Amino acid sequence: MHMATRASPCFAAIVMIAITPGCSSSHQSTSSSGGRTLTVLAASSLTEAFGALGRTFESTHSGTRVTFSFAGSDTLAAQILQGAPGDLFASASPKQMDTVVRLNKVAKSPQVFATNRLVLVTPGDNPARISSIEDLARPGIKIVLAAPGVPAGDYARQVFVKLGIYRAVTANVVSNELDDQSVLSKVRLGEADAGIVYVSDLSGGVEGEVHAVAIPNRSNVVATYEIAPLVDAPDETDALSFERLVLSSQGQATLHRYGFGDH
Amino acid sequence: MDSVTTRRPSPVTDIVLVVLAIAGVAFFAVPLVGLLVRSPWSQLWDQLKDRATIDAAELSAVVSISAVALSTVFGFPIAWFLARSKARGLGLVRALVLIPMILPPVVGGIALFTGFGRNGVLGHPLDVVGISLPFTTGAAVVAATFVSAPFLIITVEAGLRANDLGLEDAAAAMGASRFAMLRTVTLPAIRPALIGGLALCWARALGEFGATITFAGNFQGRTQTLPLDIYQTLQTNPDGAVMLSVILLAIAVAIFIALRGRLRFG
Repeated sequence: MHMATRASPCFAAIVMIAITPGCSSSHQSTSSSGGRTLTVLAASSLTEAFGALGRTFESTHSGTRVTFSFAGSDTLAAQILQGAPGDLFASASPKQMDTVVRLNKVAKSPQVFATNRLVLVTPGDNPARISSIEDLARPGIKIVLAAPGVPAGDYARQVFVKLGIYRAVTANVVSNELDDQSVLSKVRLGEADAGIVYVSDLSGGVEGEVHAVAIPNRSNVVATYEIAPLVDAPDETDALSFERLVLSSQGQATLHRYGFGDH
Repeated sequence: MDSVTTRRPSPVTDIVLVVLAIAGVAFFAVPLVGLLVRSPWSQLWDQLKDRATIDAAELSAVVSISAVALSTVFGFPIAWFLARSKARGLGLVRALVLIPMILPPVVGGIALFTGFGRNGVLGHPLDVVGISLPFTTGAAVVAATFVSAPFLIITVEAGLRANDLGLEDAAAAMGASRFAMLRTVTLPAIRPALIGGLALCWARALGEFGATITFAGNFQGRTQTLPLDIYQTLQTNPDGAVMLSVILLAIAVAIFIALRGRLRFG
């Protein structure tokens, strides 16, 4: 019957819709007005600090534009292995850097350039009345963590193992986010009772929106950040100078200002 | 008239159309061929019996079917009024219910937070009485319904509009109740449009990603549907993600073929 033929274009659309589950979280670098573009793939916890360093770099290297792709270090490592274009990789953990190194994607050996620590955050009104990291083991609390495999998620789980509350805490986890920034935004929105992020994540003016609870040093972990130029870097000179800037005293001072620690 | 009907179509136009159509078909074929070629088939069994895959597939079935059910229960009456009612302001209603089709799904997810989240317009009073939606399977169903229901509404409305009102009028004149009229006259007449709308709605619900990961989060067995599982797998194991994508593709194509058979022979 003729109605059947009328409906069939709808069916043609089905396969298209059904097979496009994802959406891109990426970047990309379009070079502006003939100048050079330096692309830095960096852990999402570096968003604020590297943004500032990028502006410093641009002011001293006229003609070069710095673009960033911020994501979980594991995501970036996978993208690099898939051939994503980029000049530098800055990882929040040596583990993801090692994956890239093992497959000969770096031009020289990685340098440690910063450290970070973890902090517990709750919404500003702290609805679950959390005052210490041990409180996360209380039943019924809604906790958001970065997923296992994401540096921030692996580090957070190490803390719970150290404290012997791993099982109780993971029973309270309601979402495994793809990076630390997504953890922070779910807490900022007030939808989760608590989350674990980096100390540096709190430098971006979120003090009023979230309530931070320090994790004591004896149970905290030290996140080690590494940077390396990539083999496919179109402009190795710029990549090396950005790395030098990050390691310089000026770069280190900027990282300090954004809550990163010494290495 | 004769000169129009006998004029030979320009061969240049034909060639251009053929070339463009072939390029268009290739555009759709290349990514699908890529999936099949790049698939690590040796991983197929490992992925199929992986606990995360099984959980995600089950959850995707539950979430997408629930979304279709909710979309039908609430969407059919909306489509009915949009097609039949002469009330003023229906254009506004149509725009409202179709907005999720043009919103980026992540925006849909944020909107769901502001509406049904713990601090949301409706979510906050619910939270006070102990009902909290975010991060639950219910939230995944809500997210999928939000983005997929418009496809059902728009298709069913079109079917109702194309439908001959004479039969409905005749049934009404013979004293048929509104329900009897719907069941015996309207539904059979719009069956192809209804099945098309259900299929589109289901396909969109099955593929839903952005609103779900935003509003429902990502938790295995609770809110991690197949698209979320594929995306998370992609972060650490791109080969596994390709294999999972082929599995999702196979499920979608199988159901597409089954439904197509129903539409043609039903």
